[in-house]
Amino acid sequence: MHIPDGLMDPTVALTGWIEFLVVAAVALYMVRGRTSEKDIPRIAVLAAGVFVAQMLNFPVGGGTTGHLVGGALMAIMVGPVVAIMGMTVILIIQALLFGDGGVTALGLNAVNMAIIAPLSGWGVYTLLKPILAKKGDARFGPGASLAVGVGAWASVFLAASACAAELAVSYAVSGGAYGIAATVSVPAMLGYHAVIGVGEAAITVGVITYLWNVSPGAFAREASTTAKPSGLRGVLHSRVAQATVAVLIAFALALPLYFMYSAQGEDGLETVMTENGVEEGSAVLTSPFSYGESYFAALFAGILGFLATALMALALLRVLRGRESTD
Amino acid sequence: MKTVEVSGLSYSYEDGTVALKDVSISVEDGEKVAVVGPNGAGKSTLLHLLAGFRMPFTGTVAVAGVRLDEGTGDQVRRNIGLLFQDPDDQIFMPTVEEDVAFGPVNLGMDDVQGRVERALRSVGIEHLAKRRPHRLSYGMKKRVAIAGVLAMDPRVLLLDEPTSGLDPRSRAELVTVLRGIKRTMVIATHDLDAAAEVVDRAVVLNTSVAWQGSMAELVSAKDVLEGAGLEPPQTAKLFRRMAGMGYDVQTVPVTMDQAAAEFAAVIEREAGRRRDGPKGTGGGR
Amino acid sequence: MLVAHVRGHRIRAEELDEYARGSWLVRLDARAKLVGVLVFVVATALLTETRLVLASLALSVAFAAMSQVPPRHLAKAYLGALPFILVASASVFLFAGAERGVDMWARTSSCVLALLVLASGTETFDLFSGLRRLHVPAIMTTLLMLTYKFVLVMADEMARMTVARRARGFGGGRSLLDRRGLRLLSYTAGMVFVRSSDRADRTYEALKARGFDKEMRPMRATRVGALDGVFIAWFATSSALLLVMQLGVAG
Repeated sequence: MHIPDGLMDPTVALTGWIEFLVVAAVALYMVRGRTSEKDIPRIAVLAAGVFVAQMLNFPVGGGTTGHLVGGALMAIMVGPVVAIMGMTVILIIQALLFGDGGVTALGLNAVNMAIIAPLSGWGVYTLLKPILAKKGDARFGPGASLAVGVGAWASVFLAASACAAELAVSYAVSGGAYGIAATVSVPAMLGYHAVIGVGEAAITVGVITYLWNVSPGAFAREASTTAKPSGLRGVLHSRVAQATVAVLIAFALALPLYFMYSAQGEDGLETVMTENGVEEGSAVLTSPFSYGESYFAALFAGILGFLATALMALALLRVLRGRESTD
Repeated sequence: MKTVEVSGLSYSYEDGTVALKDVSISVEDGEKVAVVGPNGAGKSTLLHLLAGFRMPFTGTVAVAGVRLDEGTGDQVRRNIGLLFQDPDDQIFMPTVEEDVAFGPVNLGMDDVQGRVERALRSVGIEHLAKRRPHRLSYGMKKRVAIAGVLAMDPRVLLLDEPTSGLDPRSRAELVTVLRGIKRTMVIATHDLDAAAEVVDRAVVLNTSVAWQGSMAELVSAKDVLEGAGLEPPQTAKLFRRMAGMGYDVQTVPVTMDQAAAEFAAVIEREAGRRRDGPKGTGGGR
Repeated sequence: MLVAHVRGHRIRAEELDEYARGSWLVRLDARAKLVGVLVFVVATALLTETRLVLASLALSVAFAAMSQVPPRHLAKAYLGALPFILVASASVFLFAGAERGVDMWARTSSCVLALLVLASGTETFDLFSGLRRLHVPAIMTTLLMLTYKFVLVMADEMARMTVARRARGFGGGRSLLDRRGLRLLSYTAGMVFVRSSDRADRTYEALKARGFDKEMRPMRATRVGALDGVFIAWFATSSALLLVMQLGVAG
């Protein structure tokens, strides 16, 4: 999912950079309060671990292989905010040292893999775990594992959706000079990563279970608040709220892209069509475009809507069942 | 003022296990002291505690006159050169000379280049200055780590199992290097043979101080060694055996040089005994 | 449409630093190299006119050729980045014509190549150090340096564990449905993490024991010289020219 330079439309890439810098600045600010000098090597070691884990090939059948993204893994281990920093470090190293991912595209890659993946992975996991896992279950049981797995899958799928959206928007906005057409990018990215996501889920569950059983104290776990403040602050402190916010931020990052697309989409396509001297209504050449436009829009809106609704429902379920004070 | 002054020191791990109990040790300027004991005795913990990495503790610890507490960690560390057991933990920079310079640069010292050169020379690795530490052998990496610590010109060196993991040649070379360094040293080790060659004094530690004394006394103190699960140095074992066989061993040697000298002396005495007969009576065998 | 991910980082990280030794690029200040190459990459990403894109690619190739970095190394690294480039170029080719497809391929390749030459011609530590002097926050650059150090150590460990695994008869799963395969894979990954917490704490102590205070400072602070000026000027001018021409064409 690492986007090289020159693939995305410059305005999309710039949007990505702006989103990334804003979120990164907020993350840095939040991290400053909570981490000490001693945590720096720990974050580095974690980032190195995920980096090395990304080198693992897992087979997806048919002779092809996939790779771990690791955003959900990191976020479940040390929380989403530190995960943002750790994943960013990995992406910078990959971009600068290996040409894996571009530098102008770093903003977008970071939004996808260093922000959306950890936030949504952690958010889904946090929301699902108390529902799926038996209360007071000391072992990391199948319910908790399922929560991890779904979170990990969602992290990959959502990151890929964002990437597909960025590619499609780049294509539309630039009239075909940049990006990949929606009819290709959406099914390809979503289809491939729906499968890859399963591998990610399996490995993430495996690693988390292993760590939980072998040495649960290995990495900082989210400290549970001893006293629950009341009122609005209480709401903000609740894990449910934090998790929901995390996922919503992930979606919010996709919004500017969608707006760009719907604002410019028509013009971009029309330009391409006029350039190629294509008449509207000429079946062979125009049908992909018009089909693509409505297909993409519907799909995108549909995914967003469905997931947002599902998450809202989950959050509601959590609240109705009573707030948990510990994980 | 003693360079290291530890008084009534007690420390327990987070899970409650007692690591050190009522330890009192002092080290004079220029002294070389070995802290010996079995695995898990707390030797490593003691060294890390002296460097300010294990808190809280009860008792007092002072290094070069500075009392160690929550706030003085950095200050105390300026006077300490802590060598870690695994050199990979301690090497950060892409070339040997850059890594050796790490300490002096961080401490804002002058003449970094000169310090680095002198440190490299004192451990015999000037020719490795531009090399990548990642590729060096374990023994060479240990020397790089030592150079890095020496370059900071600390008042006292704390060496954590310096000979562990070394092949016999590297070990011998390291012992020579340590002998040649004129600096206050505390060496935590269970390698008594190496310790014997380097230090004057020994402290037997087994959570608390079981015994303190000179190295010469230690090699003869069988019960102390046994109680601490320690093996006496090979030289001491040999001469003890010889004494048991009836040879006239007058001092149990500590270093190899002493051993050679004593061996020669035993030969002389033996030859003399055969010449003169037992206790001065005439006639031979 | 499944694409096989070739990205396997087959070039071991430490080899990167080996190639840096052979090139005159090492003598340049990292800041100059970063600025020059970044300006070039940004400019290239903005080009859509085919002639200009190809010109940029030519400049990139020339840079690679002059840099004295072994071509085989660059070729291998380029192959690692290829999959996404190919997918993008191919789909653009299919939907917007051959010219646009070539544009896409040439543009992305030009950028990737320039960055690879930069990486190969610079000590990794100096690269991060250069970023720091370009005002990237210290926490970021320190994290980058430490992460890189740990990656070297952990990649070795991972390789050893894989060999050990293979020696015990397990090579790799056949598909995602191979649960045992995936489980073993994740346990290997898990083992790497378990020991790393202690390693991190020991590293922290080792850093503090040698006076570390927020920054990883190099021994000698490099200064920007004439050669650096020439480097930046070259890339800045050529980038500017390309951009001006691009704007001229786009109208």
